[in-house]
Amino acid sequence: MITLKNLCLEHGDFFLHNVSLQVRSGEVYFLLNRQNLGNDFIFKVLSGFRAPTQGDIYYDEYRQAIAGRLLPAVFIDKVIHTLAYETEARIGDWIDFICQCGNFSRENVLQTLMVLNFNESNLRKKVRDMTPEILKQVYLALTLAPDHPNIVINDFIKGMEKSLEMKFNKLLWQKKIAGRAILYLGNDIIYAAEIADQVGFIKNGHLLFEADAADIKDMDIKDLYYKFLN
Amino acid sequence: MIAFLRFEWQRLFGEKKNLIFLGFIFAFSAYFVWSGLNEYRQFQAEKKIFIRFEKEKTKQIINYMQYGAFGFRLLYETSPLSLFFVNSSVLQDVESNIDSLEAIKVESSFKGKKLFLKRGYFKDFAGILFIFGSIFMLYLGHLSLVSPAYLRFMTGCMSLKKYYCLTTAARLFWLNLFFIMLGLGLFFLLQVGGVVFSGSESTIYYLYLFFLVLLLDFIYLLGQLTTVLVGFRKVFFLWIFIVWFLCIFLLPEINRISVFNKSLALESAEKINLDKFHTLMALEKKFRDYLKINPDTSLNQIRQMQKKFAVQFINNSYLVNTGLETRYLRDVKNVISSHERQSVLFPTTFYYFLTGEISGKGYYGYLDFMDYIIKLRNRFMQYYLKKRYDSNDAMVESFVKGDENIFHSRCRLPETFWIGVFVMALYGIAFFVLAFWRLHRLVYLS
Repeated sequence: MITLKNLCLEHGDFFLHNVSLQVRSGEVYFLLNRQNLGNDFIFKVLSGFRAPTQGDIYYDEYRQAIAGRLLPAVFIDKVIHTLAYETEARIGDWIDFICQCGNFSRENVLQTLMVLNFNESNLRKKVRDMTPEILKQVYLALTLAPDHPNIVINDFIKGMEKSLEMKFNKLLWQKKIAGRAILYLGNDIIYAAEIADQVGFIKNGHLLFEADAADIKDMDIKDLYYKFLN
Repeated sequence: MIAFLRFEWQRLFGEKKNLIFLGFIFAFSAYFVWSGLNEYRQFQAEKKIFIRFEKEKTKQIINYMQYGAFGFRLLYETSPLSLFFVNSSVLQDVESNIDSLEAIKVESSFKGKKLFLKRGYFKDFAGILFIFGSIFMLYLGHLSLVSPAYLRFMTGCMSLKKYYCLTTAARLFWLNLFFIMLGLGLFFLLQVGGVVFSGSESTIYYLYLFFLVLLLDFIYLLGQLTTVLVGFRKVFFLWIFIVWFLCIFLLPEINRISVFNKSLALESAEKINLDKFHTLMALEKKFRDYLKINPDTSLNQIRQMQKKFAVQFINNSYLVNTGLETRYLRDVKNVISSHERQSVLFPTTFYYFLTGEISGKGYYGYLDFMDYIIKLRNRFMQYYLKKRYDSNDAMVESFVKGDENIFHSRCRLPETFWIGVFVMALYGIAFFVLAFWRLHRLVYLS
């Protein structure tokens, strides 16, 4: 379960004021925010790379307070530049290394890669030669491998091919069924309606509106967009 | 740690570029050791001819007066270890001539083959590892941490501190192993090839290798720090060049200019020669004045007078001249000591100083050589004057016994060696900590 209590953030022009929400096990919560940079900052705070100005974040009973502390949560950031992951190792070796470092099974990674239709011959390629699509597949498989009860995602589907997006949705669905609490940060209201159980709208630093995704489907999305995201 | 060692092995040695560069370093190091060995063997062959020549030359000298004027030559020989440092020495192939003249000569020959022996540009084992090893380590230090995004991703598995420490340790372990294996491999290969190193020479070589590896680690950490300081930006390659140039060329050059400036305070060597000449002339004038006052002096009396003046010369003027020379050497030694102290302050400047001393042809090697010359000359002068006035024109007997006309310079570690190691370790630790502090800010606060 992911819980935000009276969360206040401030970073440049972006700010968040007294946001409280709860993502229960087996639920996907889509936090809609128009500002990409704002989402990036919220993600950094949630993943422990920045401290909130005020308020608390809980992953189950663990309070997120210390920077760099390992939490019972998986953090999936958006992956845009392959350049940032440019190492000289082969993909297969990289996967082995991360599995050993994180103490999780290589099988978990391979299973996710199978769901994502990953071509096994790519394992022999160098990490720095990965295309953005391959990088996203490997990244996703590696981050999901520890199988923590909570998952926080920062607009991972951005710029993704539709086929891969569908496989990603399938993975999310599997995780949800397995009882994981999933918090997704993004700005795509249509995608939110597609994958989420709950949707929260952030405008002017406040969580203005929370609704069931099923209800959103019945609402006029255009109207919602103009009201909360424009 | 095993996982890190395995992964970094794959990163370092699974990369074609790295293998080419390492192969290049290996090939060039081996080539320059081979070339140093050739020079060493050539020197040994020439030494034999030199000894034979000196013996035959003495046989041709008619009397001791002529022997005193011609004297004999003194050859400077370094230990076999110098073949690793043929180009890092302060002195080149030098020799001296010991005779009854007042000036001490130390000269280098450019005759024949030596004319074509072009030195410079780090063309020896120590220089190749220094130049290419440093640029390689700087580059690998730059690549080690990949990017802040990558590190953020890795912190999902372990803390940043642990990842940073283990990555650095694993990479340095493999790189150090490569350089140690290279250094030891070539060292043992030479021994298999018939070069004999004494126990102390082996110890000095191992300590040199230890220093070299630490120096390369220091440069690796500097590369890591520079990358982190410029925020992993791709403009790094400009910085890598600037940092490399600064450490490898600029700082040592500034250090060299500084010692040169200090040496300007020394009296001119020619001035010392002139002073010594004046002392000698003053005595000769006394002798000439005596002959002017007593023009009827018989030949036998003149001979007796010459002997008397010779004894007077040894007891007074010669001592004054030797004193001048010793004082001058003491001044030179002060400049050298100050240069040594200054070199210790930065690892690359100390590396230059260290390799010079280990080669046996460094500053202290020069001082030893001068000291040996002065002592040998003292003995020669006494021998010459005694023989000249007592021998009654008997056959000239060589002053040189055994290989006295070969100066065996020993390779040595400067006294400040461990201070140099300590200073370098301090720099390394500072770079390591500073890079982590900045990295932490980049990963967590940017």
